[in-house]
Amino acid sequence: MSLSLLPLPACEMAAVALRSLSVAGGRRFLLLCGRRQAARIQPLWYSARTLWVTSAVRSGDQKTPPPFPDVSHSDSAGEQSTSPPRYTDQGGEESEGYESEEQLQERILSAALTFVPEYGWSSEAIAEGAKSLDLSAAAAGMFENGGSELVLHFVALCNRNLTELLEQEHKLVQLGSAEKKPTAQFLRDAVEARLRMYIPYVGQWPQAMGILLLPHNIPSSLKLLTDMVDDIWHYANDQSTDVSWYTRRAVLAGIYNTTELVMMQDKSPDYEDTWTFLHSRISEAMTMGDSVKQVAATGEAVIQGLMGAAVTLKNLTGLNQRR
Amino acid sequence: MMERAAALLRLRQVYCSVSRAPGVVCGAAVHAGSVRHYSSGLYTEEEKALLDRIIRVDHAGEYGADRIYAGQMAVLGRSSVGPIIQHMWDQEKDHLKKFNELMVSNRVRPTALLPFWNVAGFALGFGTALLGRKGAMACTVAVEETISNHYNNQIRTLMERDPEKHKELLQTIKKFRDDEMEHHDTGLQHDAELAPAYFRVKNANTRGCRAAVYCQNSI
Repeated sequence: MSLSLLPLPACEMAAVALRSLSVAGGRRFLLLCGRRQAARIQPLWYSARTLWVTSAVRSGDQKTPPPFPDVSHSDSAGEQSTSPPRYTDQGGEESEGYESEEQLQERILSAALTFVPEYGWSSEAIAEGAKSLDLSAAAAGMFENGGSELVLHFVALCNRNLTELLEQEHKLVQLGSAEKKPTAQFLRDAVEARLRMYIPYVGQWPQAMGILLLPHNIPSSLKLLTDMVDDIWHYANDQSTDVSWYTRRAVLAGIYNTTELVMMQDKSPDYEDTWTFLHSRISEAMTMGDSVKQVAATGEAVIQGLMGAAVTLKNLTGLNQRR
Repeated sequence: MMERAAALLRLRQVYCSVSRAPGVVCGAAVHAGSVRHYSSGLYTEEEKALLDRIIRVDHAGEYGADRIYAGQMAVLGRSSVGPIIQHMWDQEKDHLKKFNELMVSNRVRPTALLPFWNVAGFALGFGTALLGRKGAMACTVAVEETISNHYNNQIRTLMERDPEKHKELLQTIKKFRDDEMEHHDTGLQHDAELAPAYFRVKNANTRGCRAAVYCQNSI
């Protein structure tokens, strides 16, 4: 149908050319040529289009509060923290033109961390960070509430580092080159490793804790906290599938937060007091877990007793099924 | 000479952009996918959420079933249907064990309603067993019917998505569905329909189970 729409001479010419080529066995050659050409041209066109489309979509996304279809972080502030920093393997001038906005934001926030001890968790620190990357200080305007996003980015970064650390340790244990730690020690080490990440910013951390507790940051910070606690329990080889799943996580989150508060006021060398505090809290929690088990066992015995009473009652009232 | 050099240069630029662009696209795609660092990377966020929900609901269901049979056994343990209930209870225990394993390996959160199912399941089993063994069987028929329907729905959902990818889970659910149907038939064989107020007991149970599954889907 479409061939007949072509002007007749062109159609004829093509047909003649095709026929002559196929006679000479050149048809395959023609096809090959065509295919190779297509292969060479297509990626350029295709990738350019994809790039353009994705960047357009992404820059549009930046303006709307829930940027990703997934709900791992509930508000705009959490968005920077979700995406892992993957820019390390891209050489500077190679990928500069293709860097997405969120990658750039991550880069600026990471650079801004250096200036936190001086400027606190603020837009000023972000502006300084942008300057250190040879960008305009106005880049800080990309972040609606600068301080919050900086803190959330940092917390997410620490979580990621901790997960990597635990993952490595887990692999070593699996390979048999390291010994498996008892749960109490594992938890203690994990929380200590995590809290030690705050040491460079300890002077500014109370401010950060305040920012994390701001109402609009609570969903994100709570999510970050629960994710971290869940990761620690996962690598501690937690097998619970009942209510203790919740209590374990709640208890560890509580221990982590109180230890964080203790750390803020700790003046001892290398935060000795903090780690002692952490040690005793974890042992307490372990003892508590054991006593809960004992109570449960007692409860079961009581229930058994009640069942026995019920059977007796049934026998007395003649409801017994054995006839 | 100059022209040739310029042409060569242009050719190189085109080549560079061709060879570079796909790599960058890949990078961007990885980034946009918001990789969950602890998931296996096989599933998207949406699929993971679906699987989480399936495993969570089924775990809660099997837990409830386990409690129902525990309640029935507390009353009818030493009656003539005792061994039959015990057999069904053992199968439910196996199911629960399997879902416990799946839960740990997939890092799925158990439902927050477990303590409630603990009490409610036991009370349901205990209460219906007090109506006699036919009452207990009527309860079994109603519960197992709802559960196998629920499993069938899940099988449909998973088949619609990707039967190859979810092969293992599908096999598990299919096997469990067959077990539940067997329990359903066992119930009917043991005069469930002759129970006092059979249809009322059955309907109440069916509705209760449906409501439970419905609540469970979100919590």
